[in-house]
Amino acid sequence: MQLANIKKELGIATCALLQVPAATVNAADSEWDIDTAVLFYSESDNGVSAFEPAIYASKDLGDGQLIDLRLVVDVLTGATPNGAPASSVLQTFTTPSGTGTYFAQPGETPKDDSFKDTRVAAGVDWTLPFNRLSRIKLGLNGSTEYDYQSLGVSATYLQDFNNRNTTFSAGLAFNNDTISPVGGVPTPLSNMRAAGTGTNRVGGDDTKTVTDFILGITQVLSRKTLVQLNYSLGMSDGYLTDPYKIVTVVDQNGLPATSAFTNGDLPYLYEKRPDSRQINSLYFKVVQSLTRDVINFSYRYFWDDWGITSNTFDLKYRYEIGRGYLQPQVRYYLQDAADFYVHNLKLGAPLPDTVSSDYRLAKMTTTTLSLKYGYALGDNSELSVRAGFMNQSVDDGDVLAGTETPDTDAIIVNAGYSFFW
Amino acid sequence: MMLVSLCLFLTSTGSFADIGKAPAIHLPAIDGEVDLAQLEGKVVYLDFWASWCDPCRDSFPWMAEMKEKYGSDGLEVVAVNLDKERALADTFLKTMKVNFVVAFDASGESAEKYGLRGMPGSYLIGRDGNIQASHLGFNDKDKAKLEAAIKVLLQQQ
Amino acid sequence: MKAIIYLGVLFLMAGCSSMDTVKPWDKDILAKKSMQPVPDFFENFYDEHIYFSKEASSGGQSVGGGGCGCN
Repeated sequence: MQLANIKKELGIATCALLQVPAATVNAADSEWDIDTAVLFYSESDNGVSAFEPAIYASKDLGDGQLIDLRLVVDVLTGATPNGAPASSVLQTFTTPSGTGTYFAQPGETPKDDSFKDTRVAAGVDWTLPFNRLSRIKLGLNGSTEYDYQSLGVSATYLQDFNNRNTTFSAGLAFNNDTISPVGGVPTPLSNMRAAGTGTNRVGGDDTKTVTDFILGITQVLSRKTLVQLNYSLGMSDGYLTDPYKIVTVVDQNGLPATSAFTNGDLPYLYEKRPDSRQINSLYFKVVQSLTRDVINFSYRYFWDDWGITSNTFDLKYRYEIGRGYLQPQVRYYLQDAADFYVHNLKLGAPLPDTVSSDYRLAKMTTTTLSLKYGYALGDNSELSVRAGFMNQSVDDGDVLAGTETPDTDAIIVNAGYSFFW
Repeated sequence: MMLVSLCLFLTSTGSFADIGKAPAIHLPAIDGEVDLAQLEGKVVYLDFWASWCDPCRDSFPWMAEMKEKYGSDGLEVVAVNLDKERALADTFLKTMKVNFVVAFDASGESAEKYGLRGMPGSYLIGRDGNIQASHLGFNDKDKAKLEAAIKVLLQQQ
Repeated sequence: MKAIIYLGVLFLMAGCSSMDTVKPWDKDILAKKSMQPVPDFFENFYDEHIYFSKEASSGGQSVGGGGCGCN
């Protein structure tokens, strides 16, 4: 038992045990409960790196009203795969602006490194109780980066039953996103063109809207066990394509069909995804106390109308050690490919309506192992740090040797400091 | 008439009123022990709390204030601790002004007898030893209502 | 449809909930921060963000939160 960390350990017995950040649960005495954190993410092989400082503040306004605010700055650097697989020949690509050129050496997976991104995201949530057993949480969120803006609202209703052993929740959210790619929206399935020869662009911006529903139940099973089950439904409409991703057209030898295209056209077509997507997920979580330690396990089954299904397993075991704790974590994720995912297109074959070579839509597995250490500095503050390794491995099936999708390996380190102010 | 409206008044804030003779309480306390039977003739504000209950933390200063204001008029405050480990309660109490009776019931039997539905949970017991009202939770809005109820009961003989 | 079956499971759970109610004073362990479904806001936030950017699946725990042009 951590006697020292009183304020942080306080939970409201009569409070819902659902989807409320613990910081909010423990807010008291008209003080702000503040969480500061930073993330370092770094991929090997000149991949993406991210530096993401963030702050969260929560306050009990009295009478059961809660407000929480969050601000996150996301600084991204590095190179990202453009969708084309490696080849045994040198490959040449044009940057999104249409004026620059970049290359992929033989055997090298093409990556566009002209991509730099800083994103700022902010959100505020206001919890308003109706009575002792029910409340609504209203949220507003937005983010901006140089080629993408997002604005959204949400409302989640929570109702307790059964001496507060059961909490039912129902949530709804709307998001509107504007995509303003560098160089303008490309014409889907058109050719990428050599630098300086003009671009195949629809031009300008495009938008997408996302509507999400969630239904959930949190249930206390015993003095030491809590379970949660959520069903979510999401519908996206509009521009769902990645404006920077291309698909390679290969000849009968499996090489980019450069000579088949003339007038500055390169053997790479801009991808095209469907203009709507419906996603579903069933999420289960169990939190189990064992003497001093805690196991937190979750499983999510996901399926959508793009043919993607996935299974996510996440297990954390918290070992209490005096004023601190050690928490190993393992996450295992398996995904099936989207219907329109291809490794490449064959020259002469009929063009599909929708196609993408983005490896994130492929059949793949992500495995993450991490270890976190947390320590209570005083009654009201805690310092924590977590370090982990992530490996993403794509199952290409039968593809030409030398064009396999390489693994993505990344180091993830995040640290946090929380306190009352 | 007043008492009925009092019960309804407090019940409407989401509490569960057990009207009738207050179940016996005989528990160890900070200064020896407490026996509810011996407090008959006084108005008793009986409160159930635990160190891990956030609103309980807010209710303590208010309970101390009530005892100070109305103790001489016959108010007794009895705060029954339901922590399973006495050490946790002691740590909590160290940070509080305590001018009232604090009793300890790690078994939770007294809470069971009173049919406690949530924490903090309190019962107002009249001079006749009967439960007149009960209340669940604690926030700023509740203070005035509870104080008014205490005054009404103190006026009775 | 699959969704209906899963919703049915949800309601079954609600039905089970009336058994073996845990008393308010027995929720000391459940009140601990380490027993919350999400004890660390940013640990969960960062994970959600990383996997939203690197995988085709997202969400499941809550709604809202916005999108990003994660390349």
